[in-house]
This record gives sequence, C-alpha cells and structure tokens, in this order.
Amino acid sequence: MKPAFSDADLERRRAASRRLGWLLAAVVLAIYIAGLFVKR
Amino acid sequence: MASCTDDTRTTKLVEPKPGRKLHRKLLFLSGLTLPLPVLAGYSFNFPEPVTPIARETLHIHNEFMLVITVLFVVVFAIMIYSMIRHRKSTGHAAARFTGPTSALQWFWTLIPFAILLFIDFILMGIPAVKAIVNMEDTKTGTDIVLKVTGMQWKWQYEYPEAGVKFISVLATPREQIANAEPKGEHYLLEVDKPVVLPVGKKIRVLLTSLDVIHTWWVPQFGVKRDAVPGFLRETWLLIEKPGIYRGQCAELCGKDHGFMPVVVRAVPEPEYLAWLETQKAEAKAAAGGADRTWSTEELMAKGKEVYDKICVACHQPNGQGLPPTFPALAGSKLVNGPLLGADGKIIPDSHVDRVLNGKAGTAMQAFRNSLSDVEIASIITYERNSFGNRKGDMIQPAQIKALR
Amino acid sequence: MSTATTTHPAEHAVADYHGGWLRWITTTNHKDIGTMYMTFALVMFFVGGLMILGVRAELFQPGLQLMKPEFFNQLIGVHALIMIFGALMPAATGFANWMIPLMIGAPDMALPRLNNWGFWLLPPAAFLLTLPFTLALFGIGDGALATGWTFYAPLSVQGGMGVDFAILAVHILGISSIMGSINIIVTIFNMRAPGMTMMKLPLFAWGWLITAFLLIATLPVLAGAVTMLLTDRHFGTHFFDAAGGGDPILFQHLFWFFGHPEVYILLLPVWGLIPHVLSTFSRKPIYGHTAQIYSFIAIGLLSVVVWAHHILTSGLPLPALIYFMFSTMAISLPLAVLFFCWIATMWKGAMSFETPMLFAIGFIVLFGIAGLTGLVLADVAADAQYHHSYFVVAHFHYALFAGGIMGVMTGVYFWLPKWTGHMYSEKLGKLHFWLTVLSFNLTFMPQFFLGLAGMPRRIPDYALQFAEFNAISSIGAFILGFSQLIFAWNIWSCVRGGPKVDGRVWEGAEGLEWELSSPPPHHSWETQPVVK
Repeated sequence: MKPAFSDADLERRRAASRRLGWLLAAVVLAIYIAGLFVKR
Repeated sequence: MASCTDDTRTTKLVEPKPGRKLHRKLLFLSGLTLPLPVLAGYSFNFPEPVTPIARETLHIHNEFMLVITVLFVVVFAIMIYSMIRHRKSTGHAAARFTGPTSALQWFWTLIPFAILLFIDFILMGIPAVKAIVNMEDTKTGTDIVLKVTGMQWKWQYEYPEAGVKFISVLATPREQIANAEPKGEHYLLEVDKPVVLPVGKKIRVLLTSLDVIHTWWVPQFGVKRDAVPGFLRETWLLIEKPGIYRGQCAELCGKDHGFMPVVVRAVPEPEYLAWLETQKAEAKAAAGGADRTWSTEELMAKGKEVYDKICVACHQPNGQGLPPTFPALAGSKLVNGPLLGADGKIIPDSHVDRVLNGKAGTAMQAFRNSLSDVEIASIITYERNSFGNRKGDMIQPAQIKALR
Repeated sequence: MSTATTTHPAEHAVADYHGGWLRWITTTNHKDIGTMYMTFALVMFFVGGLMILGVRAELFQPGLQLMKPEFFNQLIGVHALIMIFGALMPAATGFANWMIPLMIGAPDMALPRLNNWGFWLLPPAAFLLTLPFTLALFGIGDGALATGWTFYAPLSVQGGMGVDFAILAVHILGISSIMGSINIIVTIFNMRAPGMTMMKLPLFAWGWLITAFLLIATLPVLAGAVTMLLTDRHFGTHFFDAAGGGDPILFQHLFWFFGHPEVYILLLPVWGLIPHVLSTFSRKPIYGHTAQIYSFIAIGLLSVVVWAHHILTSGLPLPALIYFMFSTMAISLPLAVLFFCWIATMWKGAMSFETPMLFAIGFIVLFGIAGLTGLVLADVAADAQYHHSYFVVAHFHYALFAGGIMGVMTGVYFWLPKWTGHMYSEKLGKLHFWLTVLSFNLTFMPQFFLGLAGMPRRIPDYALQFAEFNAISSIGAFILGFSQLIFAWNIWSCVRGGPKVDGRVWEGAEGLEWELSSPPPHHSWETQPVVK
C-alpha cells in the first residue's frame, strides 16, 4: 500500500507549513502594531 | 373599513391594560384570518414625507423596492421553473455542462451582468448621487440655524441667532413605562418642551454631543445624522407643512437610549417668531434671576423641578442611584462634603465641581454649558438637603455665575 | 515531547492516544477537533438564542415587563458576539477541520497542535464574555458589555467592567481565529495530494482560503481598536476622546474595517459549500467553478474597501459618501456571478429534495433578499432612513441567519452522515427546515416594515404604532428558537445510531471526501488518493 505522502515528503510539507505559519503570524503582529499608530 | 380599524386602534390605546391586551390578541388573530382590512393599521412604508429630502428619499426607496422586487421575482421564477421541470422523480436526466462553451452562450451569460451593471450604476446610482449632493448642501440659502446637542438622555436645542436654548426630555410618565397606567397616544414619543421651527424656511441643523454618540432622527424629515462629542455635524430641513413630528435617538447611547424622543412642532413663521420672543423674554428673566438672592425654599422648589427633569434618570427619584454605574446621592461623601474652599474657590472633586464639570469617562456630564446659574445652584442646594442628606447649606446663583 | 515530526502519523497516534475525556483535551486529530468545534458552536447557538428570546419576550408588548433597559442592552450585544464568534465562526472552522483534509487528500491539518490550541482558547473566551452576567448576580460589577457588539466609543469608554471582559474575550477569540486561519492557509498550500492543483481545489476550500486571508488582514485591526479602547479606559490615552485630540469616529472606522470583511468571513465558507450541495442533489457538476473562485477573490478584495457604508450617517465628507456607495454596489456583481452559478448548477439537473438541498435552496432565496436589500442600503440617500433602524436588523439577519446559520445547517445535514456513518431522520430534517424557514420569515419580515415605519434599533421599549409587528416578530422568534431543538435532537440521534450509509452517502456526490468510508477512518488517506 502506497501511503499518501512519504515520510520525507510529509516532513518537508510540515516544515514549509511552519515557515509560512510564522510568516503569517508576523504579518498579523505587524498589522496590529501598525493599527495602534493610525491617525485620522 | 379602514377608518373603522383606526377607531379600534385609538380606543384600544386608552383602555386599561387587560382589555387592551385582549384587544391586541383579537386584533392579531383577526390579522391572521382577515389580512386586508386589518392591515390598514399596519404601516408598510415610510411615514408621510414633509421635507423635500424625505419626499426624494421616499421616491428613491419606492423605485428601488420595485427594481429589487422585479429582480427577485425574475431570478427565482427561473429557479422555481428549474425545480419543477428538472427533477429526478419526473425522470429528467442530468446534463453535464459546466459553463458557457460557444460565443453565443457567453453572450447570453453576460447579459444579466450588463443589466445589473446598468441598474447599479445608472438606474440607481445617478438619482442617488443627485439626492446625496442635495442632502449634503447645508449652506446654500439657509434661513435659520438650529443647534442640537445630544446628551444622556435628552436633547438640547439652541437658536444661536436669538440666544435661546433649552433642554427637551421625555414626558411619558414612568408609570406608563412600568405598565402601571394605560399608555397614552404618543407613548415614548412626547417631550416636555418640543423644538419649534417655522415652515417653508431652510433650517441648517448643527449637531454635537456632550457625552456619547447620539443620532437625531425624525422619520418624516428623511434625515438622520449622528451627534458626535467634540465635533460638529450638520444637515438641513425645509418643513413644508405645519404639524407635530416625532422621532427618536437612533444610536445606542446607554440605558435610556429608547427614552430620548425628538418632537418638532412646525408652525407658520409669524407664530414661530412670536414663540421665539417669549423664549427670549423667559431667558432674560432667568438670567436676571442669577443676580438676586434666592431663599432656601425657592432654591429647593426649583431644585426639585430641575432634578426631576435632568438628574432623575440616573440618580433615581429617591437619590439611591443605580450603583455601581450611577452612584447614590443619598449619604454620598461627595454631596455631604464641603461646599467651597476657604478661599471661595471650587474644591477639585467636590459636589460643585462634579455638577459643573462632570467626571470624564463616566455618564456624569458637565452641566456648565447646558444649565443656567439658577438651575445649577438650585440642584446643588436641593441635593445637599434631600434624600436624607442634611447639610443645611446652600449656594446662590450669583456664586455659580462668579465661579464659571 | 512526542516525535510527531519524524514518525508516521499512524504510529504517532497510537503512541499519543488517550481514552476518555483526556482524548478530547490532548487530541491533534482534525476530525476530533472538528467535532469539538461543531459541538461548541451548537451549544453557543443555543446560549445566544436564549439571550435573544429574552429580548424578544421583552419586545412582545410595549412597556417594560421583564427587564431593565441596562440588562436589555447587555443581552443584545452579547447575543451578537456569541452568535458571531461563538456559533458561526466555530461552526465554519469545524467544517474546515473536518472536510478540508478529506477534500484535498491530506492526512491531517498541517499544524495539528496549533489546531488543538486554537480550539481550546474558545471555551475560556466564551466564559469570560458571559462571566459578568454571573458576577452581577452576586452584586459584583454592573453586568456584561452593554454597548452592542460594536463597542462604539465613547459609550464603551464610559461602560462598566463588562466592557473589559469583552475586550479580553475578543482578543482571545481573535487569537484563536488567527491560529485556525494560519492552519487552514498552510494546509491548503502545502498538504494537497499530488494532482490537486489550486484550480481543481474544491470550492469549499477556496471559500475558506479567502476567509482565512480576510481574518488575517482584519482581525489584528479589531484587536488594535479594542486595545486602544482598553488604554483609553484605564491608562489615560485619548485615541477616541475629542477633548484629548482623539476622534470617536476613528473607532468606527477601525471597527468596520474589520466588521465588514467579517460578514464575508462568515459567509464565504457557506458560499463554498452550497455549490457542492447543489451539484450533489442535481446530479450534475458544479457550474462555473473557475468563475466562482474569481468571484470569491473579488469579493474578498472589495470587502476591505467598503467599510464606511456602515457609518454613512456619521457625517462623512461628500466624496467619501459617493465612493463608499459605488464600491459597495460593485459587490453585487461578483455576488450575482455566484447566484448565477448556483442556479445554473441546478438547471437541467436531475434534482431531488433531501434536507440539505432544501436548506440550500432556502439559503439561496432568503440570502437573495439580504443581497437585494443590501443593494438599496448602499444608497446613501435612502440609507439615511434605513440606518440604525429595524430595517438594518432585518437585513443582516437575512444575511447572517438565512445566509450564515442556514448555510451551516445545510452543511451539517450534508456531511453528518459522512461524519457519523449514520443517516439522520429525513422526516425530522424536513420538519426542521419548514419550521425554520416559516418562523424565520415570520420573525424578520415584519422587522423590515418596523424599520420603514421608523423604529430604531436597540430600544427596549417602543411607541404604540410598532406594537403589532413586534408581537408577530416575537411569536416568530419563539417558534424559530424552539424549532432548533428538533435540529439538536436530530444530530444527537444521528450520532447515536441510525441506518448505516456507505462512503458515497448521496447518489450524486462527487469529490475525494466521498471516496473514504463513512465514518472515515481515524487517519484518512493512508493510501494516496487519485485526483481526477
């Protein structure tokens, strides 16, 4: 039976996910902090 | 039949509660069985417009409702046709198409969107832009300026040119709200002192607020504008027909948001001018009052009158307040504290300071600009000698005048 | 520390598997977490529903009968927050957790432990939001948030400690949603089975992808706005205080910069799932798959540039009024594409009308009313009359109940047999549908007329001319509320047992998720799926 993803492949995908996850978290933080300086 | 239903409505309103309740139930049941005649008591559209803006708004609204009803009927007629024809139970075999394939099909697919584009930006868009430009033009040909100040939970009206200002509060008795008395015809839409405006004149309305955001709205005028603390907003009216017009605050502004109505009495210009003269005379008399010495009894009587209008919503008739949001005055440290400093100045965070300047970040507003010297002096004197408070001291309107 | 990153998922699960309640606390399995999200959403749906039944009972007749205005104000605001953040969003996230890995052929979500954390932030947040009610019973504080769900300053600056609790709860709910969104984005980007290109990606996953990006772009703005509110309340700042150089309207801009996309955040997952249901019960492929994807993207982009149509009466400058009117009207075009594709999916199919299909059709019709009234609300001139009135209340309940909640119900009936392996009671499902649709209209249709006649929102008592429609609306609300017990009962009995279903469940079902057994094995896709 061929598994959906090989172990190495799965690990590579998970690592890429973690990187992108942190990047998105950084974007969230950046928007939040920028928001505090908004002036109308 | 319509007038007959109207009669039932008016009698129903003055009947005592149990009968009224039964009546409403009957009305409701009959509404289920006999919709048309009873529907005369129901309103399905804007109330009768009395300003050019309201007429335009009603016209636009009717037109748009027609457009969207047609869209709704056409689109869902197609869907319902499909639901009837293309059923498995009638043996319809499913097609497999997933999109337009030929140029002709693309053409027919894009037609509805072209129609929608036309409806959005031409059919609805152009009259809307015209109406907005008109609505926002508060400055051309203005005859009178009315300044409206919202505050928790009352409206202050000011005629800057005439130097007249007064506060207008809900006049419906508490007993009616608590269902202890039958409700009157204008339940919750009646005030002690309506604002009076002339018909046929363009009135520029300036709006602001003392505490939180309120919204001034009279449906028959077709305008609604927020009153924002610290800023001036504006709109305009041109009332075409004498009458009494009723509205409400439309922005949630705290506990009594539902209890701050707007009542406008529109009258012919001569009547308006006469009214304005009496207001001016009253204001002059009141201002003169600040210069004479008042007796304790006078201050107490006046104080009770003003307290029951201005302070009672939060601090309650018995001075017990609604803690923790609205503190009690009975036994309050602040009210029972010293009146003024030894130098005759205001002590920070004292009773006088609080009434004049309010407390930032709470519902306690500054009454410095909304109440007269006499009113402030009488309220302070009243509060210090009521609800079990026995300070025995008093403050004169002249002192308040000097402290401002 | 588990070695989840290096071992095969199946072995990892055996090592990590806990029985009993510990299973639910420690689980990293997307199906378990999805189930928890759905259960939480259902509970919150009833909590928020009870609150609004209290409100409708008070509004049944003029006069104050049951509660003080202060308490009324708390109920309306917390009802909205509970329904939005506690019921609709978690339900959508529950769908995503359950279905996205199945649909794209992934063994699980990409970041399973983040997934667990994202869920377990929700119950404490809901607890914080409602705690002030309980505290007030014991004489501590003055109850929950009483400003409506919009937190408008300066009312919220002057409010009691319920506002602080709500600010804290919103922060936590926001973090939870952000974590869920990050997980969904990275899962869709990295965990698709070979052959599953982005353009082949099922519409449900596409809808959620746009939702997740909207959450990431706008939730931090909401968090920023409520943080500023918190510092205004306690630390002497003046962001929203004109006396200190601030501006109360700034809060409204920040709030609605989040608040308007939030509407699409709630609706995009539903728009994603509706085509699957229509296609299944019409036994015909989805019409305009690509067109719908581009519409989702267009709506996502437009949604962040139209926010001020929520504050058209606040005194914006004329050019801003005209801009926000036209940009709002522009949303009707991609939305019309969706309606077109939905109806075209049904067209010339071989339809049958099981409960999910009924709910999907009910959704289209009633959401159509929301869309069309939304179009007229965009018109600034007419909006002056509609704004802050019951017309708006009716409009957004057509959008969020008929559009959001009924969309979720569609999904629940559609996927419940897949999740449980049992068929629910079709008879009760249909009864639930008809009761819901009829009582929903009985509740909210009169509110359109109330708004036109001039009844403002958020008032605990009203003038006598509004009495008849309010009585009808309250009766409708109670029928609507109690009909939902049928829903809960139907779900419960379906989980407990019922006729067995096969993997495909529905005759016309297409997609990877239907190739697994029902219920799917604890670890799906042990073998590589073939993407057609």
